[in-house]
Amino acid sequence: MIDERRLRILTEGAKFDVSCSSSGSKRKNSGGMGNGYPSGCCHSFTPDGRCISLLKILLSNNCIYNCKYCPNRLDADVPRVSASPEEIAELTLDFYKRNYIEGLFLSSAVDGSPNDTMERLVRTVKLLRTQHRFHGYIHLKGIPRADEALVREAAKYADRMSYNIELPSERSLKLLAPQKSKESLLLPMRQLCEERRVFREEKRKGLFLPAGQTTQMIVGASPEKDGQIVRLTQSLYRNLGLKRVYFSAYVPVVHDRLLPDRPAGQLHEHRLYQADWLLRFYGFTAEELAPEDEDLPLDLDPKCAWALRNMQLFPVEVNRAPLEMLLRVPGIGGRSAQKILEARRYTKLTFEHLKKMRVVLKRARHFITAGGKFYGANSDTAVRNLLTAGEAGENAVQLSFFSDAETALSALTGEL
Amino acid sequence: MIYFTDGTKEGFLTAFLCAYNDEDALLSSVQTQLALGQATVFVAADPQKAAKAEARLLSYDKDCMQDLFYLLRSGMSDREQIAFRYFKLLADRKRPVRGMLAEDGVIAACECIRKVTYEIHRMHGFVRFMESASGALYAPISPDNDIADLLVPHFRARLPEFPFVLHDVVRKKAAVYDGTNVFTAPLQSAEIVLSADEKKWQALWQRYYASVNLPQRERLKQMRGYMPVRYWKHMPEFDRQEPFPMETPV
Repeated sequence: MIDERRLRILTEGAKFDVSCSSSGSKRKNSGGMGNGYPSGCCHSFTPDGRCISLLKILLSNNCIYNCKYCPNRLDADVPRVSASPEEIAELTLDFYKRNYIEGLFLSSAVDGSPNDTMERLVRTVKLLRTQHRFHGYIHLKGIPRADEALVREAAKYADRMSYNIELPSERSLKLLAPQKSKESLLLPMRQLCEERRVFREEKRKGLFLPAGQTTQMIVGASPEKDGQIVRLTQSLYRNLGLKRVYFSAYVPVVHDRLLPDRPAGQLHEHRLYQADWLLRFYGFTAEELAPEDEDLPLDLDPKCAWALRNMQLFPVEVNRAPLEMLLRVPGIGGRSAQKILEARRYTKLTFEHLKKMRVVLKRARHFITAGGKFYGANSDTAVRNLLTAGEAGENAVQLSFFSDAETALSALTGEL
Repeated sequence: MIYFTDGTKEGFLTAFLCAYNDEDALLSSVQTQLALGQATVFVAADPQKAAKAEARLLSYDKDCMQDLFYLLRSGMSDREQIAFRYFKLLADRKRPVRGMLAEDGVIAACECIRKVTYEIHRMHGFVRFMESASGALYAPISPDNDIADLLVPHFRARLPEFPFVLHDVVRKKAAVYDGTNVFTAPLQSAEIVLSADEKKWQALWQRYYASVNLPQRERLKQMRGYMPVRYWKHMPEFDRQEPFPMETPV
């Protein structure tokens, strides 16, 4: 049984990885313990409001790399510990059995060579899958510059893998994580994408990364604009078939002349996630959301901002508008849009109906009519003012959560 | 007229037939304080009448008994009345009403069903087993809705080699998987002899829980929204005398 001290250090080294999702895998139980839960399952929530789905832990925090932003970088004066594959397997099984977790999110500092590290990660996962017949969710972090064969082997056992692209441009990566290169990160991502495609096309037996790949990048540590970040995100979805792209607002823990002294706002991060959602579920393209050399506005969510730039398309009639258009109405999300679609088959919807159906009208009322009636403000300027005023109120609360100087570390990421 | 039922499906369907033409009908399986002068009737479940009602309702909507199943599992005291309004609408319209999301009766029923199914999903994550000396797993739960047995298939599928007991300590009954069979049984209280390492694993879990938190980003309101406080009492991560120590970052 692993001791509390190492569990703590290895967990604190891993917790900056944002992903906790356990969705996307339908892995069956064929004896032994565990199975997949396609929609994902949250087992607990920590006081920071994040969910615990997976046991997020490092195999080792002893790193040969010296990425500027990382708490485990070579230069950092922190206690160095590691766990054995057996210890991690035992911990995973005993937590899983008690229903504490949905599976394992295993990562590691680059301890020794990339191949050594990757080999230990794969050994741990393989131990769980074969010897212990564990079928619960496993998210495995890939180590850049490890052999192709090891990457392939890992994908046979993991449900999801991720390589963090760390920063939104090659130039920033070179500057802040000099031992990693764009190619060292994209090469294995391409390999996995391609092999997964072939695996599925040939309908081969078994599983090959059923939950696909994700990645993560730090925003606000380097000068890239949101327009560029959103375009990069879109191309990662389109070209590498990623399931998720995570963002992490930069917070300085390390003083370095190459890094900004001030934390990037959590609100900025939030806007990027909103944009990400619009790309994935609302049919928007990156080009619609922000020009390449501009940031997303902070005082408005990206859908509102888009709608205000395209007022000629509104208001739309909720009783007739197609789903694609309903989804573009500020304040109407996927669930509301589906409800409207269903309900209007039986009756002509009024604002009263929408209210009863719990469609949030605070923003939407400026962009829709219901049965020909319109309850929005009567000029574009008035709409803009009302929407930004509402947002300012929300932001004031948001900022008070995050803006204090103590936010140190909180959004830092870039663990391998 | 107030129609009291025994809370079962047959009881509800029998009362449904009795009350169908009563404009002021109120159905309930819960003893409530009655206003003076309210007429009440206790409807005994009648299998024949119930079967008749069921066949008729199924002819309008073949999936409607699934709705009734979840509605009657609800912990809301007016669940029978919500179900009555929903099924009355179904009987009036003579076709599925599930999609009529602007109708009050459908809105209420959908919300009630969603509360039950959402709690099932939540409990898939929030159940905490402890390991007994025999190796069997035991989890006390106190859900809002009567769902202990509805959680069994999920855990049986992922832990087929472990017998387990889900003990609803509020309704004083247990859903049991003995390694082969599944059954429910009344259970007042249980004395569990824990395995030798159980407390150590709980302590490691508490340590993990405290370590994975980002104390600088405290958002308790959000946390409580996702995991309401009423679910905390059976979770070892909250089984501590003092509040969580703020972990200092390594």
